[in-house]
Amino acid sequence: KKWATTAPRIPVTRLALHHFDTTYSLQLRDLWPSVRASLLCEQKYGALLNNFSPVDHVTQELELLNATDFISQAHKEAQQLQQGTSPPLRASISSNIKCYTFPRGDITRFRPARPDVLGLLDYYLMDAASLLPVLALNVQPDDSVLDLCAAPGGKTLALLQTGVCGHLAANDISISRTKRLYQVLQSYVPKEIREAVSVTSCDGRDWEQLKGSTFHKVLVDVPCTTDRHSVMEEENNIFHKKRTKERQMLPMLQLQLLMAGILATKPGGEVVYSTCSLSPLQNEHVIERAVEIAETQFSISVHVEDLSHFRILFQDTFCFFSDCQLGELVLPNLTANFGPMYFCKLRRIE
Amino acid sequence: ARARPRCAAKGGRAPRDGAAGPAAAGLRAMGFSEEQARRLRGLQPRLGPERREAAAAQLLLLGLGAEAALGLLQRSPELLRLPPEQLQERAGELRRLGLQGGRLRRAVSRCPQLFTLPRRRMAAVVRLLRERCLFTAEQLQEVLGTCPAVLLEEPARLHLHFQYAYFRMGVQQKEMVKAQLFRTPFAELRNRHIFLERRGLYQTPHKGQTQTGNPKLKDILELPEGAFLASLARSTPEEYEVFKQLLAREEEEEKEEEEDRDAL
Ligand SMILES: C[S@@+](CC[C@H](N)C(=O)[O-])C[C@H]1O[C@@H](n2cnc3c(N)ncnc32)[C@H](O)[C@@H]1O
Repeated sequence: KKWATTAPRIPVTRLALHHFDTTYSLQLRDLWPSVRASLLCEQKYGALLNNFSPVDHVTQELELLNATDFISQAHKEAQQLQQGTSPPLRASISSNIKCYTFPRGDITRFRPARPDVLGLLDYYLMDAASLLPVLALNVQPDDSVLDLCAAPGGKTLALLQTGVCGHLAANDISISRTKRLYQVLQSYVPKEIREAVSVTSCDGRDWEQLKGSTFHKVLVDVPCTTDRHSVMEEENNIFHKKRTKERQMLPMLQLQLLMAGILATKPGGEVVYSTCSLSPLQNEHVIERAVEIAETQFSISVHVEDLSHFRILFQDTFCFFSDCQLGELVLPNLTANFGPMYFCKLRRIE
Repeated sequence: ARARPRCAAKGGRAPRDGAAGPAAAGLRAMGFSEEQARRLRGLQPRLGPERREAAAAQLLLLGLGAEAALGLLQRSPELLRLPPEQLQERAGELRRLGLQGGRLRRAVSRCPQLFTLPRRRMAAVVRLLRERCLFTAEQLQEVLGTCPAVLLEEPARLHLHFQYAYFRMGVQQKEMVKAQLFRTPFAELRNRHIFLERRGLYQTPHKGQTQTGNPKLKDILELPEGAFLASLARSTPEEYEVFKQLLAREEEEEKEEEEDRDAL
């Protein structure tokens, strides 16, 4: 092995890292070195159990490995907290979703998913923090749900795992990524259920014009700088020089998508906005602007919901940023290397 | 200087039971107590007293005290079997490499293998340090003085250790000597450096340029782990523990990938 040779050109991941060094060190201050090292190390996964496949032996297998379902754990915690404290925490944790993770500091990996006798895979491996936006959406029986930027479908699958979605619409502008969404549905969901999902490939920004305001719950999981990907992978990197324009336009695109999401929601309904970036420009600022535009241009009142109970309920599994002004932000940490994941919930006032 | 003791023992076997017999007289004359002489005889009971005494004498000639020499032989009784000439010759060689007095004593007590190591291996290490790593004669003396165990290293591994500090970290020879680089195991050097680097606290220099904002190698290596984390890396033992495990796995998998590629 030689360290003498230098790469012919500067890798895009280095540019991304440099960009983050200048912006995030101001935002996160003392926390940035720890987050930085975590982004540059192997991330942790969670195993989202497939409720459409027999789960008992998988649960057993995972528990033998010392993994636990962090959602049911949080559920128990919520119940305990509720007995003592006021104001009561809203027990808004949909307990049908089961996701196993290894304990803090444990770097064991999950085996790849395996098909059951019917050919459905037993679990879906994903960043466990990606489930928080879905949990925040708090789908209730017979809610009609829109997943505006759905591909490749991790969160769509999680929405289906609640088992209570009424109508589910999954949309993504990219045809090729929509194909992957179909594949995910095919690998995890029985035919009659997946056929009830309406998959479309529209530009999410046009949703309201196309379909109107009909949803109880809308998930707006926007394209972003995908911070972890950007510092680790050369391929398909948004910090590539030729994608500068696209990158600079992201906050605008995100705002437009969130506006479309708000407009697609019924009065009284709820929207969850999420990104896997640490950038306030793509997170809080988008929320602020959207609330403002909804009010001024559409006369729609939107309330930013308090999700601080998530911070308490899931503190054993994730590291939350305590200074986030609007919404919640999961910070990657070496002992719990999930995220980054930003999520914020808005309620459309009737 | 001490005169070379004559072999005082005249024939006869060392008594097994440890009672002071005529054979003990030589060791006693060299300054070993009765009890030390008995322990010495117990080390290689089959060995003739002349050989035993000659070996002990060589160690005393290095300036080791009786107890220190005994301690060394207890840790490596095989030294007693070496021809005294080899001990003498090796001591001379180590002196030529600049190990004098206390440094020489410490070196052989810490690494008795310095006496048994094949001569070629030692020479190869010295050549590597001088010709490939370009340490000056003076620096070499310092390296061997502070870290005699480098002489026992596999030259290829030592080269890697050097290259890592030089190219990957951008550290010059002078700083390596000051930091006693080779006293830190390679894995630990890598752990600490990459940890700092990923935290954004160590910049890898690009070809030619040296980075000035980086912490000194000496500061990175000399602190015990707890202090390193608290004052330099500003992190927690929990994070560092996970980091080390992850890095080891990365390393492992890189190696496997390389092997797979080589196999094609
Ligand atoms: C962060 S990913 C979504 C990940 C997905 N929710 C999941 O959990 O698997 C963002 C997605 O937004 C899609 N997208 C980008 N621009 C869009 C637009 N104008 N309308 C709808 N989708 C868009 C991208 O194709 C991409 O698949």
